[in-house]
Amino acid sequence: MMIEGTQEYSLNMGPQHPSTHGVFRMVVHLDGEVVTKVEPKIGYLHRGLEKMAESRTYTQFIPYTDRLDYLAGPHNSLGYVQAVEKLMDTEVPERAEYLRIIFAELGRIASHLVMIASGSLDISGWTPWSYCFRDRERILDLFEMTAGNRMTPNYFRIGGVSQDVPEEFMPALKSFLEDMPEMIEEYYGIFFGNEIAQSRMKSVGILPKELAENLLITGANLRASGVQYDVRKAEPYGIYDRFDFQIPVLYGCDTYDRHFIRLLEIQESKKIIEQAYKDIPAGPVMTKVPKVLKPPVGKVYHRVENPKGEMGWYIVSNGSTKPARVRIRTGAFVNVQMLPEIVKGWKMQDLVTIFASMDLVLGEVDK
Amino acid sequence: MVSDILRVRVSELAARFNGEVEENLGELELTVDGRYILEALTDAKNFADVPCDFLHDLCGMDLGDYLEVVYQLSSLRGPQRLRIIARVERDNPAINSVTQIWKGSDFLEREAFDMFGLQFRGHPNLKRIYMWDDFEGYPMRKDYVIESHEQRAVMRVRKEGE
Repeated sequence: MMIEGTQEYSLNMGPQHPSTHGVFRMVVHLDGEVVTKVEPKIGYLHRGLEKMAESRTYTQFIPYTDRLDYLAGPHNSLGYVQAVEKLMDTEVPERAEYLRIIFAELGRIASHLVMIASGSLDISGWTPWSYCFRDRERILDLFEMTAGNRMTPNYFRIGGVSQDVPEEFMPALKSFLEDMPEMIEEYYGIFFGNEIAQSRMKSVGILPKELAENLLITGANLRASGVQYDVRKAEPYGIYDRFDFQIPVLYGCDTYDRHFIRLLEIQESKKIIEQAYKDIPAGPVMTKVPKVLKPPVGKVYHRVENPKGEMGWYIVSNGSTKPARVRIRTGAFVNVQMLPEIVKGWKMQDLVTIFASMDLVLGEVDK
Repeated sequence: MVSDILRVRVSELAARFNGEVEENLGELELTVDGRYILEALTDAKNFADVPCDFLHDLCGMDLGDYLEVVYQLSSLRGPQRLRIIARVERDNPAINSVTQIWKGSDFLEREAFDMFGLQFRGHPNLKRIYMWDDFEGYPMRKDYVIESHEQRAVMRVRKEGE
């Protein structure tokens, strides 16, 4: 029997697949080698964090927040503790504010390094991967010496941070900052300036500005599509308004720019940490908060700029020790929706590159 | 901080749809009946001078007697923020989908359906997103009973024809 023309067939990819960066699953419809449609299927890492929050006290929920975006733990907790502090009208000591910024921005650098590393690994670049992980390890060491944990430090508390940094922290941070320009040059030379990387990524997977806004894309992916928007500038939280930094924006809208903007953001984060390192005052790191937290009745919506996109915390308090509702809006969850839109017409191997450029972490997608 | 011009626009909107305006912790909140949500959001998106044109979040909320759908609006071009809350009946939690205004609300609505059983009319693909397809009940509702560990540990029996 003869089959006329070509037939479309569907292929299951994931949830156990090295290129899906976790437990992401997609059903890919292919015409030959060309992708015609992608259906993302998520929920393999769903732990029901929103439900869990309702049966835990405000303080007990802090460790769970680190597990959302486990590559940049501190920034998730930052959003949560600041939302609760807003609700309770708590003042945070100066030193704690600076330590929070240092940790949050170190987390951002660590997260972006993993993104660049895995992006290069997906196009078979092994060396950039080892360079990025080598340097990320120094950040994780800084987390470990302070809070005891490498990836989920659980360092922030409602009203401050759990403890002051140890003596050896500041010298280690200083030497890391001093080495950073050289590291960035290395990444540029081996990955972004590489001809193979450029030919694989440039003008692949275009996400136009209008589409990005309509799809509610946030974070670095939006900024790589030509929208200069960052919550740290638009609605400064914590003490971000004291620092001098830029919001990088690129207009290429393609996979290369979505990778490259992360490198630019690392440089801006470095600037912030340098200023915080210079200005950090001495003093207490924790304010006096009651043992049993009972925020007054009310609701708050607090936004922070997570490395993966904007994170929103909608906390409703009914005056008891446990929240009535904790809603977590995660950037990566909404950003998944760009995948089916931008892969149409690209080949199977481009799908892997495009997927890497979206910078998803499944802890945040599945909550 | 809430600007005066946004306050005026929101009170105009509230008067049109018989809504209530509240302000606390520097956030403006408008509560309307679920029937008017599409018109209210379209208007908010096209506010003169202070367009709230970016749907930052959409989520469900269980208040016992009724359910709420909470829309957090912001803008990429200004500092304005607005929260619109739509009330829907508990027995018939149907509300119009906003996917025609923001394509990206697709997943957010699917999640609200999955967790609260909110029926979004006009949604292109209203299926469970986190839980599996034959999961029963809506886990984020307050009356959802969490089964004991022993019950949950029982393996799912394959249905006929699967």
